[in-house]
Amino acid sequence: MKGLIRNNFYSMESNVKISFTIALFLSVAAFFVKQSAFIQMIIGAQVFIFIVNVGTSLHADVVSKWNKFELTLPVKYNDIIKAKYISFVMLILFGIVMGSITAISVYVTSGLSNIQSVLYGYEFGFTLAATTAGIMYPLMLKFGTEKNELIMILSVISSIGLLVLAAAILTPLTGEMNMKHPLVGMVSTMAALGIFIGSYFISIKIYQSKEFA
Amino acid sequence: MNTALAITGLTKKYSHFTLDNISFSIPSGSIVGLIGENGAGKSTTINSILGLIKKDSGKITILGHDIDNLDNAVKEKIGVVFDGSNFSEELTPTKLSKVLQDIYSSWEQSYFNRLLDQLNIPATKKIKTFSKGMKMKLSIAVAFAHHPQLLILDEATSGLDPIVRDDILDMFLEFVQDEEHSILVSSHITSDLEKVADYIVFIHAGKVVFCEPKDELLESYGIMKCGAAQFDAIDKNDIVTYRKQDYEWQVLVANREKVAKKYPKAMVIPATIDEIMLLYVKGENE
Repeated sequence: MKGLIRNNFYSMESNVKISFTIALFLSVAAFFVKQSAFIQMIIGAQVFIFIVNVGTSLHADVVSKWNKFELTLPVKYNDIIKAKYISFVMLILFGIVMGSITAISVYVTSGLSNIQSVLYGYEFGFTLAATTAGIMYPLMLKFGTEKNELIMILSVISSIGLLVLAAAILTPLTGEMNMKHPLVGMVSTMAALGIFIGSYFISIKIYQSKEFA
Repeated sequence: MNTALAITGLTKKYSHFTLDNISFSIPSGSIVGLIGENGAGKSTTINSILGLIKKDSGKITILGHDIDNLDNAVKEKIGVVFDGSNFSEELTPTKLSKVLQDIYSSWEQSYFNRLLDQLNIPATKKIKTFSKGMKMKLSIAVAFAHHPQLLILDEATSGLDPIVRDDILDMFLEFVQDEEHSILVSSHITSDLEKVADYIVFIHAGKVVFCEPKDELLESYGIMKCGAAQFDAIDKNDIVTYRKQDYEWQVLVANREKVAKKYPKAMVIPATIDEIMLLYVKGENE
């Protein structure tokens, strides 16, 4: 499985580098915009920005027919999917690390330390990233990667929809339609985690029934 | 003699095509060439063997193991080369070897490096900069570097120039010197198969037309070239298939010597695998 994860990262290496560059630029931008509302959006964007490489990675696998070849390797089908999801988790962790660099450096340089605001940035980014990956991967597995941009846009819209839905459902508890309420952040994060884990099992099912002619 | 691969009654139905009751086997220590026109069912057969598509019926065993329950230890012993490269274009051969040595326990890095040198493949250039021939050579080096027992190659020599093709064919011949080793190779370039194959399996329209030792095929099959009057006089049982070209009839016969004696005035010449395939596909039979 280590080889499969290694292959995933080699194949999206140049795109991950671009993501790191953008995330670093956002960290630098955070120095100049010392407002907690912006900081939380920057952290959210940094957590999310790495997961956009999922589509590129899958598309590269299909174009090179690696997705067909890897089935002939001495690995189990489940391990192929597991390696993909471990790679997604690592991409999200890269984002969390970059978000943490922003949060720590802003705190050190300007003393800005609104914990609730920073936490929301993580929750927002994680919800977007985990839901997007969780929806996008099985859809691309099922329908192919020719329309990967469209599937990705739909996945992002769905993940934002999840946040809006959580805020709407929790209105009786939060008193108003407030997407930044701590309860909404927590529930949407848990829901995103559930979608991501559920997506893994759905992907295994799709993969087992898929034919690679 | 052990059997490296055995296929019995393999059937796969699509709306537009059916792979129909395919059966053949590969004895250990031999090279079997799979021939047939585009869309005949060669790749469907290979994809079924590798479990990439789900067969409707039939049984396939590789190295004595049913492919429906193939474990990783058996998969280690299978080397696969498809038409073109199957590796991420962003990788270099060096990075690819790091990926594969984590996957194959039998991967031999020094042998892979030797193969890269022997085949003139740059180790540190990205695969996307490679020509089709170089990508094929890389795929072949990968297939060899984990010491397989069975090589399955789908159009592996296409895109290679004649000199490199010859080197690769020599590698195949050297590979099967070990009687535990076997090769199944599908190819459009039948001259390659004439050089290396021990058996030829000809698939046409989803069915096996014949599966015969290559030497017997080349020794027994022939083409009788004749005019209209001579053609009419031929016993139809002697005709496998025939084709009319301008004023000449080309008749494929299965027993060249017998036919030459029976029709002394007719010209009967040896048939190449290409000609046999062509006459089967484009010819008529009564």
